Amino acid sequence: MALDFEAATRIPPKMVKIRIRRYNPETKKMWWQEYEVHAHKGMTVLDALLYIKENIDHTLGVRYSCRMGLCGSCGMNINGTPMLACQTQIAQVASGGNPVITLEPLPSFPVVKDLITEFTSFFNKHKSVKPYLIRKDTEEQETPKGHLKMKPQEFIEIFQFSNCIFCGLCYAACPVTAADPEYLGPQALMYTFRYINDVRDEGHEERFAVVDSENGCHRCHFAATCSAVCPKAVDPAGAIQALRSKLFKYRLGFYRKKGSKPLPPPPEKGERKPLPPEAMLVPGANLEQLEKEKVVISLNNK
Amino acid sequence: MGSVDKEVELKNRKGFWRESLNPWLVRAKNNPERVAYVLHRVTGFIIIAFLLAHILETDSPVWTQYAPINGLTAWSAWSYIMHVESAWYLKIGEFIVAGSVFFHALNGFRLLLTEFFGVGIGKPVEPKPPYEAPTLSAPQRTWLYIVFVLSIVLWAFSAYLIFG
Amino acid sequence: MAGKASNIQLWQYITAIMLIFLLGYHLVQRLPWLYNVSTYDQTLTSAIVYHQYRVGGWALLLLAYVALFHGLNGVRNMLFELHQGRIYNTVINVLFWIVFIVFSIIATVTVAKLPPI
Repeated sequence: MALDFEAATRIPPKMVKIRIRRYNPETKKMWWQEYEVHAHKGMTVLDALLYIKENIDHTLGVRYSCRMGLCGSCGMNINGTPMLACQTQIAQVASGGNPVITLEPLPSFPVVKDLITEFTSFFNKHKSVKPYLIRKDTEEQETPKGHLKMKPQEFIEIFQFSNCIFCGLCYAACPVTAADPEYLGPQALMYTFRYINDVRDEGHEERFAVVDSENGCHRCHFAATCSAVCPKAVDPAGAIQALRSKLFKYRLGFYRKKGSKPLPPPPEKGERKPLPPEAMLVPGANLEQLEKEKVVISLNNK
Repeated sequence: MGSVDKEVELKNRKGFWRESLNPWLVRAKNNPERVAYVLHRVTGFIIIAFLLAHILETDSPVWTQYAPINGLTAWSAWSYIMHVESAWYLKIGEFIVAGSVFFHALNGFRLLLTEFFGVGIGKPVEPKPPYEAPTLSAPQRTWLYIVFVLSIVLWAFSAYLIFG
Repeated sequence: MAGKASNIQLWQYITAIMLIFLLGYHLVQRLPWLYNVSTYDQTLTSAIVYHQYRVGGWALLLLAYVALFHGLNGVRNMLFELHQGRIYNTVINVLFWIVFIVFSIIATVTVAKLPPI
């Protein structure tokens, strides 16, 4: 979800009620629990959760790490929308009229405890699309002699997708993953596109074979909720549609992969060129003497 | 995916109904595409149900020769069925099917452009705050609004035809 | 089979494009002023419908096949999303073919064996 800058400047209600769907794996019980928290300006949902954990109920399970929207650990359902708790202001989701914030673990993920969800199958799907550079010349890849050429605009084409933080919000928001546990999901398909779009990569045939399956990219029906909830504007929805049109082109024989060859190795270090005359010391100046002199800088020219 | 992971995942899934209703349960701002996705499915179901009934109905001049209704066969049976179907409550059903067809066709055309030809979706950009995904402001969004407006206009026209 | 999912989806798009034209034709047939009648109901009289079958019966038959494939394949894909095991998938595939073939035969019979007025 796009960042709401203004929310941080608004004043939240003084007292917010936080309603959490809790789950205890030992007793296999699920229940709703409510906590009351004093909110202050600039307080995020994660701050509120940590306040609860420190002062009210230390048995609450919550996963977090960086507190600044970089690690992607604290994804949860906030008032029914998958969001990062650390990027969500209290003022954004609660108001004086409705000071209740409902927190649930991410949907489509198995729950470990309270708000902590199990990401194993998510990462296995990510792994299944081979998220690494594949070169035909593996020997050159192992012992590279030069850089692989990439133009700035080619870099921009993959940079957006490389910004994924694996928070799983897209996966949780997708209506297809909700029904189909074997669907690869927006994140894995987006990463497939990121590597197929990469000019340095040569493994597009292997990746097309992975996504051209019953649970691959044709399961997507462009509900675009993945892009709407993505905190980093990675845009999985657009990536999957582009991936599909590329896959169709590939199957119909129109696909041409842009390639990139290794640049020749940089020239060996030769003799150092002498500095130009304007960079040389003024003749007659004594460097040691100059260093000893007291430097006086006056702004007023007095 | 290993079989153990799958077992763990399936065991922890919520009930069939809750998961089936997921398109309605997850809330996201700035996302009319999801509305279109749900409507595309619902209208698809309406149309396929109508299509199967419609094939049986249009076959009535043939099958009534073997199984007459009210003693009527062939084209007189057809006229009788058409007379029954001109009742107002069945016309409402017809009206709903007409609206479904218009929305499904227009939205399907948009999906064809985006999914098959890959046009109208956002081009990758350098991400900048406030991190708005480019596809959500790409031409496909405009097309989607056109689809909504145009299908309502056509639907109103079909109301004029059916009830007029 | 490599590319099977793509092939099926490709047919879904091809039938979609065909449907836009065929269904457009079928809907135009219900416009009353093309047949010099005043209401929609009057375009459904046996004389006009019989005439329409004689003129464009092949198009209507093609429309039936294409629409059946597109619609049933869509439903089949939606049912596949609810993974329930291999038997479930086989049952859906078999049902798809049975419904498709039975209704295609009914549609063919309608055009081929249409009684005269």
